[in-house]
Amino acid sequence: MTYRYVAGRLVQSLVLIALVVSTAFVLIHVAPGDPVTYLYGGQAVSAEVLAQIRHAWGLDQPLWQQYAAYMGNVARGNLGYSQINFLPVAAILGASLPNTLLLMIPSVLLAAVLGIVLGMTAARRSGTGADYAIGAVSLVSYATPPFWLSVIFIIVFASRLHWFPTQGMATLGGAGGGLARVADVVWHMALPLGVLAWWYSASFTRLTRASIIEESRKYYLMTARMKGLSEFKVFYRHALRNAMRSVVTVLGVQLGTMFAGAVMTEIVFAWPGTGRIIYTAILQHDYPVVLGFFLVVGSAVILANLAVDLTYAVIDPRIRYA
Amino acid sequence: MRSAAAVRGPAPSGTEDGRFRRLHVVWKVLRRQRVPLVAFALLVALGALGALAPAILPRDPNAMTSDTLSPVSAAHPFGADYLGRDIMTRMAYGIKVSFIVGLAVAAIAMSAGLACGLVAGYYGGWIEHLLMRAADALLILPGFFLALIIAFLFGGRLFTVILLLGLTGWPQIARIARAEVLSLKATEFVESARAVGASNPRIVLREILPNALPPVLALMALLMSYGILSEASLSFLGVGDPNVISLGGMLSNGLQYATTAWWVPTFPGAAIFLLVLLLNVVGDGLSVALNPHARQTGGRVTF
Repeated sequence: MTYRYVAGRLVQSLVLIALVVSTAFVLIHVAPGDPVTYLYGGQAVSAEVLAQIRHAWGLDQPLWQQYAAYMGNVARGNLGYSQINFLPVAAILGASLPNTLLLMIPSVLLAAVLGIVLGMTAARRSGTGADYAIGAVSLVSYATPPFWLSVIFIIVFASRLHWFPTQGMATLGGAGGGLARVADVVWHMALPLGVLAWWYSASFTRLTRASIIEESRKYYLMTARMKGLSEFKVFYRHALRNAMRSVVTVLGVQLGTMFAGAVMTEIVFAWPGTGRIIYTAILQHDYPVVLGFFLVVGSAVILANLAVDLTYAVIDPRIRYA
Repeated sequence: MRSAAAVRGPAPSGTEDGRFRRLHVVWKVLRRQRVPLVAFALLVALGALGALAPAILPRDPNAMTSDTLSPVSAAHPFGADYLGRDIMTRMAYGIKVSFIVGLAVAAIAMSAGLACGLVAGYYGGWIEHLLMRAADALLILPGFFLALIIAFLFGGRLFTVILLLGLTGWPQIARIARAEVLSLKATEFVESARAVGASNPRIVLREILPNALPPVLALMALLMSYGILSEASLSFLGVGDPNVISLGGMLSNGLQYATTAWWVPTFPGAAIFLLVLLLNVVGDGLSVALNPHARQTGGRVTF
C-alpha cells in the first residue's frame, strides 16, 4: 500500500511540474512579442543565429511540435540563455539556489523550534495571559512584511549599532580561509536569518497551538495521563507527535509563500541567492532568467511538498493506508 | 407552486428565524471582542484617510520639491523622498491603492471560490473532481510566483495585478464552501425544497448559499490582507503598476536610502505592516464569531 501511495504522489508531482512548464510555454506564446525574445533576448544578433535559436526550440515547426521541443529542452535542463550576460539560465540559477537554501533552511529550523515551543506553551495554558501574549506576538510577526523588517534591521543593527554588516554574504577581499570564513558568513547571515525566522515562526506557533488543542481532546492523551506520565511527556511525547502531522502538511502548502519571503529578504540584504538574480533580471527585462526562475521555483516547491508528504507517509501509518 | 419556505416546518438553522438567531449569536460574540472592534475602527479611519486624501491633504503626491530627502519635520511629518515628494501625502494615496487592491482581490477570490465550491459540492461527480483538483494544484503551485511572472510578461497594470491575485486566492474559499455545501446538502430544509420541486439553481442560491456564507465571509479580512501584502510584494519586486502610488513601490525605491535617510523606506513599510496587522486582528475576530470550529481551536486558514 505504501508503494501505491508513493507512486500516486510521484505521478501527481510530475503532472504538476509538467503543468508549470506548460504554463510557461503558453505564457511565452500568449505574451506580446516574439517567443525568441523570451528564450534568448532582444539582443542584436544575426539572422542566422536567430534562425538557429528558432530551430533549436522548434519555433519553425507546428505548435504541438514546438511544445514537445520546449518540454524536451526544459527536461534536459536547457532553460535558455540570459540576454544580458549570455550565460545558461540553468547555470545562473544553479549557482544561486544553494545560497538561498543556506539562508532558508536554518531559518525554517530556528522558526520551527521557536514556534513549537511557543505554540505548545500557549496551548497548555490556553486562555491565560501567557496564551494571549504569545498570540499577540505571533499575530505581529505574521503581519510583519519580511522586506520591511529587513530594512528596519539594517537601519538599527547595521547602520546605527554596527553590530552586523549591512549586506552581502562575505566580507569583500575575504576574511581568510577555513573557520574564519565560516564565521564571516554566519556574521553576514545573522540579520536575514533573524528576519526570516521571526516571520516564519508565526505560522509554526499558531499551527502548533491549534493542533495541540485539537489533540488534547482525544482519548489517547487521557490514557497517557492515566498511565501516570508527566505533563511534559504527555504533551511533548504524545500530543506533539500527532500534532506535527497537520503542522507540516499546512507548512507544505505555505512553502511558496515562505520562498517568496526569502527572495525579498535576500534583495534587501544583497544576499547572493535567487532573490538577487530575479530582482536584477526583472530590472533588466532579462526574460529567459525570469522564466527560468519561475520553472525552477515552481518545481522546487512541488518537490519539497512531495518530500514532506513522503516523509510523513513513512512516519505515520495512517497516511499509508488512507 | 408553494414556496419552499412555506413547507419547511420547524426552524432548523437555515430558515429566516434560524438565520436571525445565528446573526444574533455572531453579534454577541463580536461585541465581546474589543480588540478586533478597535482594529476595525482604525481600518475604517485609514480607509477614509485614503479615500479623502485629495480633499484633506494640501500637497500633490507627485509634486517634486527642492526638499530632497528632507528628514522628518513640521513641513514633512514623515520626511520627503529623493525627488522631494512628501512621504506622508504619498502614503495616504498608497493606502488608498492598498484598500482598492485588498477589497477587489477579496471580492474576486470570494466570488470565484464560492462559485466553484457551490458547484463542486452540489453537483458532485466529474465536475467536483475537476474543480477540486484544480484547487489542489493551485494550492501547491506558488500562486505568488505565477502572478509575478504574468505581471512581468504582460506589464503589471493595477487591474492585471488585482485580477491575478484574486484568481490565485480562490482555492481555499472553494474548499471551505464545498465542505459547507456537502453538509448542508443532507439537511431537511434542502430536501424539502427539492421535494416541492425547487430548481437546482434556486436551491443552491436561496437555500444553500446563505447558510454556507458565514465561514467564508470570516475569511474576507484575511483575503484582503493577502491581496495587500502580495500587491506590495509585486511592486517591491518591480512588476507593479508604475503609474500608481504603491506602498511596496515606495519602500522599494527607498531601499537604497536605508542607511542615509531611514525615513524613506521605513514609513511606507510601516503602513503595509499596520494594514496587514489590523486586517489579521479583524480576521481573527471574524473567524471566532462566524466559524464555530475556529472558535474552539483558534486554527486559521492560510493563503
